[in-house]
Amino acid sequence: MAITLISILALSVAVYFISKLSWKVGAVINALAGAYLMIYLFTLKVGSSEVLGTLFGEKLLLTYTNASFYFSFVSMLVILAVMVFAIKWLDSQKYPSAFNMFLLMMTAASLGVFFAGDLLTLYIFWEIAVLSSMLIVPMGKKEARRAAIIYAVMSATGTYMYLYASFMIYSRYGNFNLAEVAKDLANDPSMPFKVTVYLLLAAAGIAKSGIFPLHTWLRIAHGNAPDAFSAVLSGQLVKLGSYVLMLVTAFFPTLKMFQGLELYSKIPSPNYFLLALGATSIIVGTLMAIKQDDMKMLIAFSSVANGGYILVGIATMDAIGFEGGILHVFNHALAAAIIFMAFASVVYRTHTTKISEMGGLIHKMPITFISYLFAIISLAGIPPMSGFISKWMIYQALVRKGMFVTAFIAFFGSIGSFLYVFRPLAGVFLGQLPKKYKDVKEVPAIMWIPMVTLVAISFIMGVWPFPILKPIEAMRADFAISPSVKIADASNWLVRGVTGSWNPVIVFNLFIIGFAIAYLLYTLFPKPKKVDLLAPHKEEGAPINIYTGGEYIYTPDLYQYNTKMYAGFERMYEKHPSWEKVLDMLCKFFHDLGQLVHGWFFRPSPSAYAFWTVMTLLIVFWVRW
Amino acid sequence: MTGVYKAIFNLAIAFFFVLTLEGIGRKITARVQRRIGPPWYQSFIDVFKALSKHPFSNGWIFDFGVLMALGGAIATAAIVPMGSTFWTPFPNTDNFFVIMYLFAVGALGMAMGMVGSGNPWASIGVTRALTQMLGYELPYLIVLASMMFYYKTASIHLLIEKQAGGWNLLVMPIGAIVAFISLLGMLGKKPFDIAIAPAEIASGPMVELSGKYLGLLHIMHVFSIFVEITLFVDVFLGGGNFWWFLLKFLIVWILAVLISSVLPRFRIEQMLKFYWGVPLGLAFLNAFFVLMGWTL
Repeated sequence: MAITLISILALSVAVYFISKLSWKVGAVINALAGAYLMIYLFTLKVGSSEVLGTLFGEKLLLTYTNASFYFSFVSMLVILAVMVFAIKWLDSQKYPSAFNMFLLMMTAASLGVFFAGDLLTLYIFWEIAVLSSMLIVPMGKKEARRAAIIYAVMSATGTYMYLYASFMIYSRYGNFNLAEVAKDLANDPSMPFKVTVYLLLAAAGIAKSGIFPLHTWLRIAHGNAPDAFSAVLSGQLVKLGSYVLMLVTAFFPTLKMFQGLELYSKIPSPNYFLLALGATSIIVGTLMAIKQDDMKMLIAFSSVANGGYILVGIATMDAIGFEGGILHVFNHALAAAIIFMAFASVVYRTHTTKISEMGGLIHKMPITFISYLFAIISLAGIPPMSGFISKWMIYQALVRKGMFVTAFIAFFGSIGSFLYVFRPLAGVFLGQLPKKYKDVKEVPAIMWIPMVTLVAISFIMGVWPFPILKPIEAMRADFAISPSVKIADASNWLVRGVTGSWNPVIVFNLFIIGFAIAYLLYTLFPKPKKVDLLAPHKEEGAPINIYTGGEYIYTPDLYQYNTKMYAGFERMYEKHPSWEKVLDMLCKFFHDLGQLVHGWFFRPSPSAYAFWTVMTLLIVFWVRW
Repeated sequence: MTGVYKAIFNLAIAFFFVLTLEGIGRKITARVQRRIGPPWYQSFIDVFKALSKHPFSNGWIFDFGVLMALGGAIATAAIVPMGSTFWTPFPNTDNFFVIMYLFAVGALGMAMGMVGSGNPWASIGVTRALTQMLGYELPYLIVLASMMFYYKTASIHLLIEKQAGGWNLLVMPIGAIVAFISLLGMLGKKPFDIAIAPAEIASGPMVELSGKYLGLLHIMHVFSIFVEITLFVDVFLGGGNFWWFLLKFLIVWILAVLISSVLPRFRIEQMLKFYWGVPLGLAFLNAFFVLMGWTL
């Protein structure tokens, strides 16, 4: 493992120079490296362990667990798809060679995070992943530079808390090793210490996966990053945060650690705190996504909401809730990656991300549309796509535990997702085609093949989810979360919940039969006459009069309904309190403080300089340094 | 294999029974408004007449949307149990959430196809329908969640069996009231027919439909009504034999029609404020009672 990771890191630098000669070759090498890593994951043995090196006398350990496999597999699916996508897409970018290098570097580093056997190794790879991805972000739109800074600051807020907690653990147990720390924490008598460490470690995950107080970077970073990279950001990098959250809530035996702190339904209060943050993210993400006009920011907010689902699922520490949360990692990774790649394709052709400037692209880009359609079906949690299974599991856990407020929020997020995913569907792909996009074409095959592949995987896992449930069940067995419960029952084709089961194959077959009957009825009756969207519209500038109440229309573009789609609902929370504004105020406060100090010390007058020089010398003499 | 026969029977009942009820509903509304009204079989005439006409199509997504809407509705109607374990086509798959989300497929298909027609009235209607969904689903899901918590099952036929001792209408009356209010929204009946609003947005989603498309979506609507009312009857009005089920179905339908024939339409934000006010509060009250074990 160690050699592979380090050689991929080294290769990433080599890729930079190769890309300088020809970025296409660099991109192909990237994709090959990605494919190699994907195969490599399956050759590794679960439980194997390796020493990466030593740092200050501490061994840096790599261990390969079921969780490592699952998370790396999901990551590689997304990254590999984007790497293939980038082979053609990169020709629209200004810095292809740097993109190639940082993408590969980030890939290796993320795998390092999942392989890490101790807190320090995790931190090191984590920072490499954050830095390399941070350097890709400013290659995007104009505002992207600011986005990169916000991303770095938010991420650092989390990681420093994480690092502080790691040192707290080290000073107490003299150990960074995750497995040892988990044992020590289980037997530690000091509750305040455990709670502090738990929350501080979780902070890194909260910042990374965009959970409520630290979620604002998602909008700005995902919205402004290079289009294809947003797919990696939302589909893969955010999942690093979910991994850390899973480590601290499930790998560390929280139920044992916080015995006596049970708040409600056998969930300890620190876990409940995280759960509440997750629920808040669902509300914030959903409400904000509904009102976005920028399609990338819309899906960025949906990532906030889905990060909330993952956290809620894991934090219940219930067999089915945990599995639902972990499975949601897979589902959301795929759905978000497909959606962002579809958007990247749209932007590749139209050069805009504003929903209100587009429309009617379906007849120009049908494959992109189909990919987007299937992805949103998965994201909204509708069968037969895989997204439904994880949401179903999370609901099961919430209902079984009687957590009605959280269940309410989960339902709200789910129905709210119908609203926001429909906005780009209607605004970008359906409706009237603006004249300026008359000559838009479908993206080349190398760009749509990765999207369609991911759609196929998500679809197959929705009909036959047992292969993906297998590693999750293994993880649950590792963490000993009610090991007696069996959820995936492949021999009976059933997914079992605590309140009943369902058969995904029957549901899928019903679909097919439903469609078949519908199609039969459709063909039975008279054939339709095909007309244009504006039926009598023959040539440019000809008056159009259909369903417009006697008014003539000369510009079909105006006949497209895609601004303020949910005006009635949006008006209801127009004056909502904004966390971004609070952070801006904080920002302004520090800025003003800086200005104040700056003003004192850097007066543009020689006398002030003389004064401060004298003062400094006096103090130095007085203190006798 | 019996499951498949039962599913086909479900579809047949859904089609013939609900279309008849639609006719009866129109007759009742007419009598409330002191008109004579159409004959009870008027809806059959409407459907078959629409199906036999030559339609216009607005491109493949329009066709596909209609197929998806009808297909989703058929799939959902096929798995809903009809008032007893015997009339449960697939006892392993009648989970409430599965039915609820399968149902969304039809709605999504319809939304997509109609917006694909490129008419802004259709888009406005669809966004209204989605917003309305946000209104009525939440109280309904909370009530159902508290019920699943109470009976420890989400399987509809098991919920029917557990009501042998007493209907849920009597065990959780508050929940039943809330669910009925939500049902009105689901059916798109009068105070909540915002999405269609013929006077404002020219029947919203249906504006571009012609000929067989209108007929097919009418059939889809019929299946949707069947699923919605059947779920309510199953969950709140206990079990019994098949004729009992039809009778209860009829009563719930007539009640909904009577209420809708005397009420005017809400505006969209009025509807949301209404649903998120009293019904949602009552739903949480019901959940609280269930948690405390204070059921009748």
